[in-house]
Formats: sequence, C-alpha cells, structure tokens
Amino acid sequence: MDVLLSTILIGLASGSVYALAATGLVLTFKTTRVLNLGYGAIAVFTTFIYWQFSVNYRWPLWLSAGIVVLVIAPAIGFFLDSQLFRRIEDQPIVISLMATVGIIVLLQGVIYKIWKSDTRTVPSLFPQGSVKIVGGATLGVDQLMIIGVAFGGAALLALMLRYTRLGVGFRAVVDNRPVAGLMALNTNFISGLAWALGTSIAALTGILIAPRLLLDPIILPFFIISFILASAMVGYLQSLPLAFAGGLLLGVIESIAARYGPSSGSGRSLGRATPFFMVTILLLAAPRRLRLLATGGSFVVKTRELAAHASRNVRLSVATVFFALLAFIPLVVSSISWNRSLATGMIQAIVFLSLVILTGFSGQISLGTTAFMGTAAFTAAHIATDLGWSSWAALLLGSLAAVPAGALIGVIAVRLQGLYLAMLTLAFAFMAQELFFGNSSISGREGSVPLPRPSGFHSDVRFYYLALIALVVSAVVAANLRSGRTGRVLAAIRDSETATRSLGISVTKYKVLIFSLSAFMCAAAGILASMQKESAARLDFVAYYSMIYLTIAIVGGLFHIGGAVAAGLFFGLFQQVFAGHPAILDLQLIFFGLGATVALAKNPEGMFGEMRRGGNAVLRVFGNGKRRRPEPVPVAGGQE
Amino acid sequence: MSELVAKGVTVRFGGLIAVDDATLRVPEREIVGLIGPNGAGKTTLFNAICGFIEPVRGAIELDGNDITKLAPSRRARLGIGRTFQKLELFHRMTVLDNLLVAAESAESKLDIASDLLHLPRRPREEKRCEDIARKVMDELDLAWAADRRSADLPVGTGRMLELARALCTNPKILLLDEPSSGLDTNETRAFGQTLQRINADHGIGILLVEHDMDLVMEVCRQIYVLDFGRMIAHGTPAEVAAEPSVRSAYLGEEDDDAPASPSARG
Repeated sequence: MDVLLSTILIGLASGSVYALAATGLVLTFKTTRVLNLGYGAIAVFTTFIYWQFSVNYRWPLWLSAGIVVLVIAPAIGFFLDSQLFRRIEDQPIVISLMATVGIIVLLQGVIYKIWKSDTRTVPSLFPQGSVKIVGGATLGVDQLMIIGVAFGGAALLALMLRYTRLGVGFRAVVDNRPVAGLMALNTNFISGLAWALGTSIAALTGILIAPRLLLDPIILPFFIISFILASAMVGYLQSLPLAFAGGLLLGVIESIAARYGPSSGSGRSLGRATPFFMVTILLLAAPRRLRLLATGGSFVVKTRELAAHASRNVRLSVATVFFALLAFIPLVVSSISWNRSLATGMIQAIVFLSLVILTGFSGQISLGTTAFMGTAAFTAAHIATDLGWSSWAALLLGSLAAVPAGALIGVIAVRLQGLYLAMLTLAFAFMAQELFFGNSSISGREGSVPLPRPSGFHSDVRFYYLALIALVVSAVVAANLRSGRTGRVLAAIRDSETATRSLGISVTKYKVLIFSLSAFMCAAAGILASMQKESAARLDFVAYYSMIYLTIAIVGGLFHIGGAVAAGLFFGLFQQVFAGHPAILDLQLIFFGLGATVALAKNPEGMFGEMRRGGNAVLRVFGNGKRRRPEPVPVAGGQE
Repeated sequence: MSELVAKGVTVRFGGLIAVDDATLRVPEREIVGLIGPNGAGKTTLFNAICGFIEPVRGAIELDGNDITKLAPSRRARLGIGRTFQKLELFHRMTVLDNLLVAAESAESKLDIASDLLHLPRRPREEKRCEDIARKVMDELDLAWAADRRSADLPVGTGRMLELARALCTNPKILLLDEPSSGLDTNETRAFGQTLQRINADHGIGILLVEHDMDLVMEVCRQIYVLDFGRMIAHGTPAEVAAEPSVRSAYLGEEDDDAPASPSARG
C-alpha cells in the first residue's frame, strides 16, 4: 500500500512539472495561436545555460536558476515573439507550427556548437534526503519541493489571470485579439508576455526535470514535448486547468507504469509511447464541438496572388530541359559521391512531392511521413531478406504496404483537421518509431535490415537513373493530379468541404485517395532511400524527421512541384558542396533552423515561389511569357 | 416527375426545437417560396432537406423515394442542387474551375487512373465538361469572369456563380438559401428574372428561402411561412399576404411598411 502511495506521490512530483509546463504551452497557444513544438528544445537549451552557470562558473544554484528563469528565458520568449511569430501571425497555424520546428533544429544546432553532444548531469535546486509522510510512504525532499514550486507557480498564474488588470488583458486577447486591440489593449505586449511566460516556465521545467534525467540535446527535448503535449491535449489545447490536471495524470500513469510495468526494452519503449497513445485516444474521442474549433480549420498559406502560371508549354519545356540535364550529369561528372548525393536528393524530392500533393494541392496535413517510409522500408527489407524475393517485388509490395495506413489516416481526416490532425499523425509517427521500428524483430538487432538494390541497378550510376526515373514518374503524376479533375476536386475540398458535398462529391473518398497516394509516394521514396544505402535502418525513420520533412517542403515551396524538386536537390547537395568545410557542416543545423524560420517569416510561399516570380519576370522581359491570368490581386479579407 | 416533399420534419438542437413538424412540397417545375422572420428555422429546414442536418422526426422524399438517411453528396447526385446563404465558393479557384468541379461531378466518366496518367480520354472528357460549364456561364452572363479568382468577385457575381455551379450538376430541384442577401434592389430584381428564366428553360423546381418579400411575391407561385419552427401558412402570394397570422408573425403587428430587412440575418 505504501509502495503504491509513494509511487503515486513520485508520479505527482514529475506530473506537477508536466502540469505547470502544459499550462505554459496552452497559455502561449491560446494567446498567440502558436503551438510551440520547440517547447522541449527551449527547456533543454535554457537548462544548458543553467548548467553553464551553476556547474561551469560555480555560481550559486539559486542565482543561476533565477537568472535563467527570470531573465534569459523571458528574453528569448520576447525575442521570438516580436522577431518571428508576430510576423507570421496572419498565416495559418501550420506555418507557425513549422517555424517552431525550426526552433528545435536551431537550438539543437546551437547546443551542439557550444556544449557538444555530451550528456550532462544537472544539480538539483533542492536538498536531497527523504521524509516520511502519512501512511508510511517516503518521498524525496526535492520531490516534495518540486510539487510545491509547480503548484505555487500554477496558483500564481491563475491569480494573475483572474484578478489583475493584465490577466483581464490576457483573457481579452484570447477571446478576440482584434477587438482587444480596439479596446486600447497593447496586444503586442500581451502576446510577447505570453511567450515570455511560456519560455520562462519552459526553463523552470527543464531545471526541475533535468536532475532526475540526463541533460542531452537529442532525446530530452522530445521527451519533454511529448509529455507536455499529451498533458495539454487533455484540455484539447484549450483549457488551462484541464492541461494542469492532464500533467498530474500523466505523471502518475508514468510512475505506476515504471513501477509495475515490464522493465524490458519493449516495456521502456511502451512507456515512451504512452503520451502518444494518450494523444491518439483523446483526439479520436474529441467531441464535435472541439473538432470544429478554429484550430481544426483550413491552414493553407495565403498566397499573395493567383498562381500566375507560365503557359503549359513553357512549364513543360523547362521541366524537360531540367530533367534532361539531370540525366546527362552522370555522363559528365565522374565523381561517385556527387552522383550519390544527387540521387539522394532526387529521392528526397519524392518525399517532398508527396507532401506537396497532400498539403500544397489538397490542404491536408500529415506529420506521419516517417511512419509510412519506415513501414515500407522494413516491409521491403523483410520481403527481400527473409523471403528472398526480388528487390523489385520488395519495392512494389513495400510501397503498397503503406497504403492501408494512408487510407486509415484519410478516413480519420474526415473527422479531424488542421492542427489536431497534425498532432494525431505526429503521434502515429512516434508510435511507429517506438513500437515498430524500435522492435528488434522488425528492425534487427543492430537496428537495420539489409535491403539490396534491384537487379540491373546495382552500380551507383545505374541507381542514379532509377532514382531519376522514379522522380520523373512522381512529378508527372503530381502534375497530372494538379491539372486534372482529381486535383480540382481536392482544391475544392480545401476551399469548402460543404460546397463540395453539395455538388455530389464524396469528400471521404477523395481524402482517402490523396492520403493513400501520398503515403504510396513517400513509401516508395523510403524504400529507394534504404536501397541506396542497401539497408533499412531504424535511425532513418525517426519521427522527428517527419517534422523536418514538412518544414523543408514548406521552405522549398509547398505549392509547386518545382519547389519539392528544388528542396530535394538543395538538401541532397548541401553536404556534398560543403564536404570540405567541416566548420560549415558543423553549423548546418543552425543554418537550416535559421533558414527555415526566417524564410517562413519572410515568404510563406517558399523559395520556389520566389524563384518562379523571378523566372516569370525574366520571361516577361523577353515578351513571350505573357501572363495568362489577371494581375496580382490582394487576398480578399476574411476568407480563411 | 421530380417532386420534393418534406413530411413532418422536426429538428432539435439540444433542448431547442428549431423546426417543428414542418411539411412542404416543391412540385415539378415550380418556384416555391419559404419565408419567415429571423430565427424561424428556415435555414435549418433547408439544411435538413439537403442532408447537412439530421431531423429527429419526419421524412424527406424525392420523386416518392425516401432520402432521409442519405448523405448530402448522395442527395446531390440524386438531383438536389443548392446554394448557400453565406457564400461557399471555391474561393482560390477561378470561376471556370468552380463550374468544372460541378460539371465533372455530374457528367465526367473519367476514372482516377486515366486522370493521373493523362490517358487520351482525359482531354476528351475535360472538353465535354468544359462545354457544359461554358454553356451555363453564357446563360448566366458569367463568361467575362471565367478566369477570375472567385474570391475577387463582387457578392452579386458570387451569388450567380453559386447558382451556375449548382446548375452545372444538372439538378432536378434547386434549393436557394437567401440568394438576395448582400444584393441591392436592382441586383435582386435581376436575380429574380434569372430565376424565372432558369425555371422555364431547364424545367427544374426551385425552393427559395428568402427574406426579401418583393422577390418572393414576384417569382413564387406558392409560399410557405415558417414561424418559431412551425409552418403557419401556405398558399399563393396573395393568400399568404392576406393571412393575418403571417402579418403578425412576419411583418410585425402594427408595422405596415418594412417587408424586407435582409441585413439583420446572422
């Protein structure tokens, strides 16, 4: 009995930290409409600073924590809000969501650069030792104090929101930001303050949690964000008290599972998957009223103009010349590593294409990319290795294996949309990572299963052409999709599902179709990528990459086939170009993180949108690229 | 024979009865009006007919077949076309594409594989559907806007576009939800004439949910009046206008002008 009691109390200790953190996450989300996936990364980054002060500089613990939580973290929050998120506040939620992924990459890069990738132990703010409490259970003094700090912080927050002028301002902004602005509230100050509070609580979270765990830039950010997201989801990202309760609940569940659950490897991964089970169940059970909240609405980027297409012939010839050039490269460039990087880039481009047709053309969203890719790659590897079938069969059957999963998401997408769908598919990616790809019977004892290249394409040059063919086929299908009947229906669904239904079109059928097609495409790319390395490896299908893929796709240009191809080649070649410059490779995470966030703040249409505008201007100068469509028009207000 | 019947339809929102045992008939080739004060349940009944809201009691029948349980898209395929009070255009698409989606939904025999692989039948089917769309566009004077993005159209043109889009599906019955809201007097009059023309040319029945009394009185042969969810009157325009209960419910007791106030509707 007392074991159970102290298990619950231990759970409450970590749970109270999740609870406070979830409150901070929801507060920022409700005030600024930004769901900060970088919350864990900010917590870890600030905790590294705390480590620097307290351990390296030997400053007193409380002083270090005070500086980090009360000065540095809020400053980061204010900065992020004013320099980044306020600039994209008119954009749909998905853009800011991806910008927060950029923050993860950026902060990880900075941490690598300053502190390398070693793990650290962080000193606890509180004294060690244990106390006896009612029922004969014991509890660490530090845990008791953590509970005190977390509850105290939450109480302060509640009092502030309830009774102060500032609190009224917060609630006004949450209710209706434009109107709050008209009421002479400084909404910018309040959104900055919401961010500052959020990052400050994030820092506190990191400092409270890290002593119990190891401080590291790779695992900890995702550990933190997964638990906090699940807690916040208990209140469907809307309710602060429910988010707090969710944190406590999750802490207790975690503690009980750790005490009484299986302690084997599979038990541990089950533990890590727990928050995602919770997210999935909560979202699938979400009541209709919540599903239809603004968070579930359309999130397609507002483009500044109607796509001013060059004529079909111009586009066709540009594409033909481009792919012909790609086909010539192996004939003139003999460097194997260049050819390999290009092939990698082309395969990546197929992944981005699968996102362009899904998100850019159809307005749907999936952060489950790696789940599809990994499922397909491991299926293919087992077909080729265990069954000894040909790699061609493995490629086809493996790609098909991802289709039912895609179709399932399509069915779910009829109920859930926007941010909630993004969270659900992300949960899928994490569950696939923990339960399937982490399972040695699936990914092998070393975390990889051999997957030979198909016969006839063993050499690197031959494989280059296989990748090129796959890319061309995907691009042609995507182009046909966009210009044809199916694409029109998908675009119609994106703009108004109600109107589409009223015309006799089954929205479910088309959602299932596009999710299946997109899943098939990225599945094939996942298999090809594995074939290039001749093995399917667990580490290639980490759920985190799903977020990165979508971010790169957005940066490249989510609305154009060319954007996907450009993004693929760019990131495929990046390593190659800077192979001789380790300093730059060291910084690439920082570059990319900065690039993603800045690019999104400046131009949500992505690089390709910018390039194409330039290209159109050139064509106009030469007079043969007359605009077929009318002049650019400002987006009509209130359409989103 | 294309006849739409709503029989004893009751819709409940929680404890609130929005539509209470309402019955109406839209006979073939006829324009029928449905009027009533704000919050009377007109749009609710309308949505129950289209399938966007499920009634707790009652039945919807098309040509004698019960369609109460069918999804909105199935009803649309059976020939119920509709427009929306708050414009639901495919706002990022051009006017022509808006119409193509509708025409292809009803007419195209193109399968998805032939579409994605651009097989020879694709341009054939696209041409056929584009012809249908252009014909409707000419009929409703929209040809000038074919390549405009629909979000940029003025409200009046947007309403025409919704009408055109519904027509492209070749419906048997057309349901129009407050088509005059956002239109000025001249536009409303022109819209009424267009309705009569469509009704005559295509021979389709029209159910007109409307706030603007002048429009309803002019184009409808029969009118149903809804108040607090109940059908309180039914008859020709003259009969309805003479009915005292209608005057008190809809026009207000003492109020003798102000038949139409389209602005207040939320």
